[in-house]
Amino acid sequence: MAKASLQKLSNAWAVQVRIIHALMIRELITRFGRQNIGFLWIMVEPLLFAGLVAIIFRLTKGSVEHGMSVVAFVVSGYIPITLFRHCIARSQAAFTANSSLLYHRNIKIVDFLLARFVIEFLGSLMAYLFIASVLILFDEFPVPSDIGLFISGWLVYSFFSFSVAILIAPLSEMSEVVEKFTPVVTYIMIPFSGLFYMASWLSPGAREFLLYSPFVNGMEMMRKGIWGDQITAYYNVWNPLICSVAATALGFALCRRVRRTLAVE
Amino acid sequence: MITCHNLSKSYTHGRSSKMVLNNVNFAVEKGERVALLGRNGAGKSTLIKLIGGVEMPTSGKVIRHMSVSWPLGFSGGFQGSLTGYDNAKFIARIYNCDYYYVKSFVEDFSEIGAQLKMPVKTYSSGMRARLAFALSLAIEFDCYLIDEIILVGDQNFHRKCSYELFEKRSDRAMIIASHSLDTIKQVCNRGVIIHKGASEVYHDIDTALEKYSNL
Repeated sequence: MAKASLQKLSNAWAVQVRIIHALMIRELITRFGRQNIGFLWIMVEPLLFAGLVAIIFRLTKGSVEHGMSVVAFVVSGYIPITLFRHCIARSQAAFTANSSLLYHRNIKIVDFLLARFVIEFLGSLMAYLFIASVLILFDEFPVPSDIGLFISGWLVYSFFSFSVAILIAPLSEMSEVVEKFTPVVTYIMIPFSGLFYMASWLSPGAREFLLYSPFVNGMEMMRKGIWGDQITAYYNVWNPLICSVAATALGFALCRRVRRTLAVE
Repeated sequence: MITCHNLSKSYTHGRSSKMVLNNVNFAVEKGERVALLGRNGAGKSTLIKLIGGVEMPTSGKVIRHMSVSWPLGFSGGFQGSLTGYDNAKFIARIYNCDYYYVKSFVEDFSEIGAQLKMPVKTYSSGMRARLAFALSLAIEFDCYLIDEIILVGDQNFHRKCSYELFEKRSDRAMIIASHSLDTIKQVCNRGVIIHKGASEVYHDIDTALEKYSNL
């Protein structure tokens, strides 16, 4: 009995992996085509964004601030936030846009979100690795002092981005208002994303408030992992984890609900 | 066996809502060919979508004890910006089939040649139907859901489809929604009439057709 259900689970897992793989390739071909650098375009946008903003900050603010290289600081903030913004942008109306695929019963709507998320995740990770390696060569980026902490921070940040995406996707199908409001909300949340500051630069009151934001916790973890003893970081890994699990659970429930009424042409 | 149990579907748009199917019950056994008969807008396509799992019922359930194809129609299951080959590759991945088999079957069956290298959005509707048909026949199912597609294509293709579907796969179950009474008479052995949201099952196709023409 236990063996049979284990077998069933491993079959289901194999189907899941196959479908996500197929969806990812389909998405990559539709979005980037096969011309010139093809799917490598996924890392170009985060690279350009982080690179250009870093250059602007470098020119206006000098090379070092609070004992951290300005370029490295900007890069370490912008790559994660592009991941988040892309996740949200891609999740909106993801179900209607892909609805013709629902003709294939073994594709579930959550698979659309997973496939898109994995693409964004890998894209920004590649961009991060690329830009950090280049900057390390030019001595503009520190060699990460605690790579494990950095990766953990990156993972919780990504998990939270995904959990928001899985929440926004069904909501944007349920109400058009959500769809209209998300761009402005993602813009307003930038100050709460830990992009431009370390928690230690803030007043204790502001710090306590901002540490409720899962993004700030994730960002602090990543930066602590990069700069190590040179900086002070404040974070609690449970904050982003609990928020993500809660948002994902709610997101799954909403997806199920939306699926029941989704009309496919 | 496929069982539809108290199947209801209503669509809501804003404040208005329309009940398309109301408590539909019927079962399809292995090898049976069931015709869905009904006027335009009676809910035949909706029922096929529910059976295929494309849309979910408002209440009731569909219990599938055999593998069921996706609804064969003009569209659905395609990505317009992908080429015919890409779509074939996608289908092969999704259904865990050998791509080279699917590829050669599609080339052979659809006869659209070099056009397979072009994005599907550049196809004529006849070519689309050929590709759709070829793809769905490349994957084997116990039950095929057919939504008015039999009439597509020229004579030659028409004959080919009939052969592949009704002769080579004569042991499979089929659920066919069509207005072509001749085809239905030849092919189906049972009928379900859908009228005003309700369904009536006839175990004899001739009676079903007679009832339908008096509707």
